[in-house]
Amino acid sequence: MTSALPQEDFESLMNRIRNRLPIQNPLHAFVHNNILLMFENQDFHEALADAGDLYRARTYWPEERYRARYAEGKMTDDDIKEGLTHYLGRYNEFSPLGYFKIDPKDFLYRLMFSELIYNDDDIQPQIKDQHLWDFCVAKTAGRALTLTRSKVKWRGKEYWEKYHNENYLLSVNPFVFRLISSYLDQGQSFWSNPFMKKGFWAFVSYDIRETSNFLSGWQKILGRKLAEYESTSPEEIIQLELKRLNIPEEVWEKVLLELLFDMKGWSGMVNKLELEPWQATVKSPQIKLTDYLAFLVLLESSVNEFHAQTNSIDLSLIIGREEKQEIRSFQLSLALYQITKSFKLDAGWMNDLSTETLLKIVDDIDIIENTHKIRLWHEAYEHHFYREALSAIVQHGKETRVAVPTRDPYAQILFCIDDREESIRRHIEEIDHGVQTYGVVGFFGIDMKFSSLKNQRLIAQCPPVINPSRVIREFSVDQQKGLGFQSLNRLMGTSGLVLYYQSRTLFRGFFATLILGLLSFVPMFLTVFFPKQSQVFKQWAKEKFNPTPRTEIDIEKGAEDSGYSKQEMAKIVEAIIRMCGLKEPFASLVVMAGHGSSSTNNPFRQAYGCGACGGNAGVPNSRAFAKMANDPIVRTELKSLGVNLPDGTIFVSAYHDTCTDEFNFLDVENFPEQHQKNFLILKKNLGQACKMNAFERCQRFSSEEAKNNPESALKHVRERAEDLAQPRPEYGHCTTALSVVGRRSMTRGLFLNRRSFLISYDWEKDTEDGKILFQAVIGAVPVCVNINMDYYFSCVDNDNFGSGSKLPINLISLLGVMTGSQGDLRIGLARQMVELHEPIRNLTILEAPLQRVKSVFDSHPRLRNILYHHWTRIVVHDPVQNEWYIFGQNEWRVLQAEKFIMKHFHSSADLIKVTHSNEDFAEIDE
Amino acid sequence: MIEYNFLALIILPFFWFFSLGVIFFSRIKFTENFLSESSKYLSLILSMLALTLFLQVWHLSPSHLKFDYPSWIKVGHYEFKIRFIVDLLGGTYALLSTFLISTIFRYSRNYLHKEEGYFRFVFLLAVLLFGLMIVSFARTLDFLFMGWELVGTTSVLLISYFYSQVQPVRHALKAIISYRLCDMGILAASAWAHLHLHTTDFSALPEVLAEHGHHGEFGFLLIGIFVIWGSLAKAGQLPMSSWLPTAMEGPTPSSAIFYGALSVHLGPFLLIRFHDYLSHFPSLLWSIGIIGGVSSLYATLVGRTRSDAKTMLGYATISQVGLMYIEIALGFTNFAMFHMFTHASLRTYQFLRSASLISDFVDNPRVVPDVLIQRSLPLESLFSKNFRRKIYIHALHSFHLDFMTGRILLGICWPFRAYMKLEDKWMDWDNQLLKKIFGKG
Repeated sequence: MTSALPQEDFESLMNRIRNRLPIQNPLHAFVHNNILLMFENQDFHEALADAGDLYRARTYWPEERYRARYAEGKMTDDDIKEGLTHYLGRYNEFSPLGYFKIDPKDFLYRLMFSELIYNDDDIQPQIKDQHLWDFCVAKTAGRALTLTRSKVKWRGKEYWEKYHNENYLLSVNPFVFRLISSYLDQGQSFWSNPFMKKGFWAFVSYDIRETSNFLSGWQKILGRKLAEYESTSPEEIIQLELKRLNIPEEVWEKVLLELLFDMKGWSGMVNKLELEPWQATVKSPQIKLTDYLAFLVLLESSVNEFHAQTNSIDLSLIIGREEKQEIRSFQLSLALYQITKSFKLDAGWMNDLSTETLLKIVDDIDIIENTHKIRLWHEAYEHHFYREALSAIVQHGKETRVAVPTRDPYAQILFCIDDREESIRRHIEEIDHGVQTYGVVGFFGIDMKFSSLKNQRLIAQCPPVINPSRVIREFSVDQQKGLGFQSLNRLMGTSGLVLYYQSRTLFRGFFATLILGLLSFVPMFLTVFFPKQSQVFKQWAKEKFNPTPRTEIDIEKGAEDSGYSKQEMAKIVEAIIRMCGLKEPFASLVVMAGHGSSSTNNPFRQAYGCGACGGNAGVPNSRAFAKMANDPIVRTELKSLGVNLPDGTIFVSAYHDTCTDEFNFLDVENFPEQHQKNFLILKKNLGQACKMNAFERCQRFSSEEAKNNPESALKHVRERAEDLAQPRPEYGHCTTALSVVGRRSMTRGLFLNRRSFLISYDWEKDTEDGKILFQAVIGAVPVCVNINMDYYFSCVDNDNFGSGSKLPINLISLLGVMTGSQGDLRIGLARQMVELHEPIRNLTILEAPLQRVKSVFDSHPRLRNILYHHWTRIVVHDPVQNEWYIFGQNEWRVLQAEKFIMKHFHSSADLIKVTHSNEDFAEIDE
Repeated sequence: MIEYNFLALIILPFFWFFSLGVIFFSRIKFTENFLSESSKYLSLILSMLALTLFLQVWHLSPSHLKFDYPSWIKVGHYEFKIRFIVDLLGGTYALLSTFLISTIFRYSRNYLHKEEGYFRFVFLLAVLLFGLMIVSFARTLDFLFMGWELVGTTSVLLISYFYSQVQPVRHALKAIISYRLCDMGILAASAWAHLHLHTTDFSALPEVLAEHGHHGEFGFLLIGIFVIWGSLAKAGQLPMSSWLPTAMEGPTPSSAIFYGALSVHLGPFLLIRFHDYLSHFPSLLWSIGIIGGVSSLYATLVGRTRSDAKTMLGYATISQVGLMYIEIALGFTNFAMFHMFTHASLRTYQFLRSASLISDFVDNPRVVPDVLIQRSLPLESLFSKNFRRKIYIHALHSFHLDFMTGRILLGICWPFRAYMKLEDKWMDWDNQLLKKIFGKG
């Protein structure tokens, strides 16, 4: 092609486009991510403004919700002022200020409460000050203003929809959906797509050619165009068509992105499967974003041409038209009137100003109102929480009355940093003073792919940012039994597949229906009416007919990439022990508690699991770690590294199910006699802690019985996990807003209402340059931000950032979900998962010398972005100077915490019963 | 005893939805708990009633009981007769309906927890239950039509459960148009039957027919044709297939109950009801068989290319219902009933579990990453690759059913469109004339 862009320019264009597409994995490998990960190099608010345009979404709560909180007294003027001060640190140039002659703070404060509704024709304006009104009218008589906000439209879409009875949602999108969903299918349909290996473009062109007799309307033009472009490559087609539409090269990126974002889920998935085909659920087809994009561009131009032809419209009038936002003289005077009133200006402020200047002011105020107002409300709302959280934690540090157990602990439990583990840690510490708890990232430093006995699929058991380096396998102690178990499992697998496919066909479906039809009544009734009992029965039947044999995992260094050498094991163990600052002398029991969550009929299963283990249960990691740390050779290696584990210390692996609140110990068949007594006590107390944990969680559920009685709470949460009809097995990370990096003493005995990630780090055991701090921060803080942001966006605009309601959900192509019978592949979290969430940026509190924190955050690009672009708010408690610092807009400053009136309770049980967990912070006197 | 039993089955749902409606309009707020508890107990009671009734009619069969009550409306010679028949077919359908609906009620209690439309959902299911009971036991076509309509209306309202979005409403519209087209068939059949046979009583029809003794008369045949036509939309048979797969817009339990189980089987139900009549006309039986055969073949081919859980189940359902049509055509009505029963329960279960699919596949040891799941049949490889590819593409586009329906509709509307064009031209001419006379403006 003569006029095409140079190859590298086109590629860089495509790369820029790729960077903006949604980054979600197929659901089977869902991990929490900041949906706007690629926008993190911009300031939070600016990134949100850009993303809002792109996603056509709201990026904050609607203003009324913030205002409602203010009206309820859940946000005060103090919060607003704090938010304003913070905001002014960065955004402080407001051109009308010079004319208004008011303080910027007052300006913003009044802006928040301003009522500028001159643009809305439906609302009858109220004019009380007739004199002022007359003045305004006189000033603007006969004038009109075109707002700077007016946009140039490069697509015909809105025009056709508005004036020519077109509806992309019903005509164009289903057309794309049909082809792309069938092409990306991983095995849900009976026939696989015959073009899987040939590429999407081959599929599309064959499809259109084959069906050309049955095309109508714009589809006909599409068919003609495709025939025309038979020997042209998709890259060229994109450019030719864009040129044909007379779209200037500067806006290509914008236009192409707009096209892709019509069905953003599918576009994102195409991009994902092209770049990371191993993420596919089964097997990724040959797919290229350019093929898909060329198809979209052709569709766009066909629709444009069709409407232009049928209605004899000159396309050049539509493409690149400016949609003017004009306000007329009446509205202008109304604007001036309302500005004067809203900002409480002196009536004479307009006296010396020319009409030109006034128009400029109206225009500026229009922009300011549309960008800054909602941000200010959001800042105020966040600051309400920040102020409360900080003053509570500072206060708690001063009041330290917590009786640090006088005797040495007999058990140290390492939990995941997860906010859902905050409560159980609090409960076990409260119940048993001989227990210390720590928070470490739940994959325990073991970057592995795991293959279980049951399912040989290799599952990455580490955070998504890490590339798993090793393969660890589970094996049966009794080989014969293991083989029997596996072959029976495979048989079940085969019959599962056969039943799935064949029950949906014609003749085999006929027999399947006759045979299975009556039988299916039994499981249906049982699972719907008696979810828990049927699960018990299933478990029993499984143990009876295909018992899981006793297994172990093989961590030894083997061929190629399997297993670890003893030195590597020692390093892993050392790193974890140092990172969490495990206190010496080591307790006789060190429990590695992985976690996961069980649920049924839940496509979002992965979102409830352990984020650090890639959404899976943390069982294999905790088993592997315990095995490593108990190995005598590893212990001698450890000695040389300076960690002296006494013989009396034994590592035990355990698993906490955050949904059913069951706490199980693993690999304890040959438990040493000497620890037996302690072990039994610990088990009993953990059982009690689980009960209290369930009780605390049930306060958010609707079952009255479970709200009042810990026993039935435990039963209730177990039932939730097994219920086929339960869209909310648990609330996951809902309400998460805080993360604390530091010693447990900072938060021990403080009720945090399951809102906080707790990361253990002992500044005293770290080197001066903060090596360990870096490890702790890089492993945890980005994960916390990811989870927090995922919930944030799904919460503020569930329709566009989230996946909508779970009720009409429909699984498609084994990749994800969509709503109803056709449409876009949904991203983010379902409405039911985030309904209790409060969208607040994470507040990260670190306990470490300030200098150390600074150097750590400066040393890594992602951490720099998070800090300097305010994707999280960071506070540092410098224990050396005993001073608190907060990062403002650009600088660290000393934090003046306010006095917090802390409520005191005798026990968690009291607190739960009295307040039903309406408190976010309270002191529990043990 | 039987009389009280089946009357209770009809009256209880009626009172239930009626009182729900009354309370609603008196603006009393329902608590979710009240709704779920009351629906649970009521539907369980109804299931028990249906079960006893079923056992009784089972004992009784193959004979049946008839109950006549005073007429509802009288207009001239026309009487709207309230007549019931209690037989194995009705008993089975009542049992199936009550069982499945109580399951769905229990399921929705958690599934629709905190949902704004929960009242609407319960209310519509109560109406559905009432409609189904009428259909099960009605003995005249006029009376059956009442229940038939209630089922259709609730179905449409539940497709558009999320009425603030465009797509559900549009698909509900598609459903209601299909329903309406076929409802005309039932109305026409009933009118024709009144005209020629002076009754629409199913049990009397064959006798009347025998009395007349001349089957060949076109009017009698036409009644049969209308009835078959009337059954097509609910059953999703060709050419009325395209609405059903797109109807999966409501909450999963409602999709399950309507398009996996109770609404979609009303088509075969109606044909079984009319079987004694239809079996007098071999040509009609042939056409039932052919419709069923073509529909099931069509649906199974299209279904094979669908990759989303619910649409796929929709097509699978159409294909099995098509087989039931064939069974009915062959005269195996009892077998078709059995097939109906088993199929309904299997599909409901599959719908309810449809959200587990991804986990099922990922947990399956037979599904290995990066290896295509082998599922095609040796039989298919008999055809050439090119042919299979062609079939795939056309099946993917549902064999252009919508396109062709559109063409046919356009053809029917041709006179109107021609008239419209003419009118446009006339208007243009008129305008020009006016301009000429009065000048500009």
